[in-house]
Amino acid sequence: MSTATDPQLDSLVGALVEANDQLLALYELASLSVDTLDEATAVVQILARAHKLLKTDSLALLSDPIHLVGDSEVFGPLLTANDAESLEHLRISTRGWDTVSVPTGWTITMVAITAGEPLALVAARKSKPFGTADRKLLNAVAKLLASVINTAQLHTEALEQAVIGRDHLIASELAQRALPESTPQVPGVDVFARSDPAHTSGGDLYAWSVVDGVLHFVMGDVAGKGLPAAITMTNVISAANASFRLSGSDGPAAILASMDEWLCESLSEREVFVTMLVGSYDPELARLRVANAGHSPVLYVSDGDVMDIAAHHPPVGVLPIEELLETTLTVSDGDVFLAGSDGLTEQQDASGAMFGDDRVVGLASAGCGLSAVDLGTRIFNEVESFAKSASQSDDRTLVCLTFGKST
Amino acid sequence: MNITKSISAIEISGRFDAHEATSFRETIEQELTTSSNIRLSLAEVEFVDSTALAELVRAMKKCREQGGDLILSEVSGPVAVILELTKLDAAFTIE
Repeated sequence: MSTATDPQLDSLVGALVEANDQLLALYELASLSVDTLDEATAVVQILARAHKLLKTDSLALLSDPIHLVGDSEVFGPLLTANDAESLEHLRISTRGWDTVSVPTGWTITMVAITAGEPLALVAARKSKPFGTADRKLLNAVAKLLASVINTAQLHTEALEQAVIGRDHLIASELAQRALPESTPQVPGVDVFARSDPAHTSGGDLYAWSVVDGVLHFVMGDVAGKGLPAAITMTNVISAANASFRLSGSDGPAAILASMDEWLCESLSEREVFVTMLVGSYDPELARLRVANAGHSPVLYVSDGDVMDIAAHHPPVGVLPIEELLETTLTVSDGDVFLAGSDGLTEQQDASGAMFGDDRVVGLASAGCGLSAVDLGTRIFNEVESFAKSASQSDDRTLVCLTFGKST
Repeated sequence: MNITKSISAIEISGRFDAHEATSFRETIEQELTTSSNIRLSLAEVEFVDSTALAELVRAMKKCREQGGDLILSEVSGPVAVILELTKLDAAFTIE
């Protein structure tokens, strides 16, 4: 055996051992269970193993915060107490790494990582320059880091969305609870009210109060959809309940004016309006008075004849109400009062045709003699049946009063 | 001295509902950078919903805040019905 071959053999054995070490380190790196770690821990562990794998003296992930393993000498001059500031400095520097002052004897190599925002993995070594294999390994580490960071970011975003979604759901459910759960008990009138929001919450509303034996009620529709409309809806209900007490004795026009005073400015600031119908039924006088601010449909049916109660004012929030206007009706047994939202009349079927006012008028006309619950339920069922497979496009709300001695 | 009030003209057509509200608002905002008087032709509008009406009211208020007005012109039949039902015809300048 020639001794001349020993150095070559040693070199070959050394290379094989090194390659084997690298393979083992790579196996360790690949088998690192990053899924169970938080982002910071995973990054630190990957860097530590990559540091061993690449036999670097220093390895840094240029992120905020900066992660550094090994000797900080080479990066020291670039780092300050503030990671964000250091990162910016390093980012600027790494655009032209050659311009950075590298301490004598050090070799630096860098790969860019894109994980939401540009990052870089920078390796420094004193012992020997980085070769092609080192760069490939560094690229593999960079890709693993990018994957970990991306996964962590997606997880955080999903978590934040889930929290927002949960809060949204709670707020929506609370808003819907502002609607009264039971109907008022007043002699001579039977009341039905129902609101089916298109989403978790909606902007349609109703409220009532019996003050000194008189039933005051409001039905409204806040322009817009979803949670913003629902929150406005709760404000409207609060204003209604206060106005019933404060202005109820003066009738619905005064209640409406009082609500307008409470709401007009804030609605205007939010750039929304509310179509609103306010009514007061006095069973002693068999008299129904209504004030309408832009709401439709509002119908009164007597002996099968349907009267459309036109708006006295534009919706609340458009212009301040300056006149007290209302319609007074003398009620008879069997008469029906009905106020619905546009979610009923504008419900489309699969072909795009709308349910329409005429169908509501027809149902109201044919409904004399029915209880308020039967009539209201029939109208909802008809709209549902009309829509068939078409989705509910808007909140559907109906307030229905039927009058009679027996009720 | 001649004083000229420039009036922007916008025309919309088809359905005007929640889906169109954002682009309508952007158009109005853009027009308001050059003129506080906007003439809006509604001749070809087939339908307006409450969200669209809220956008019209918002545009009207923005114009008036800047000393101008939103003028609704050539109002189509379906839109006229809605404006009448809601009494918004009393709030807008319609020609």
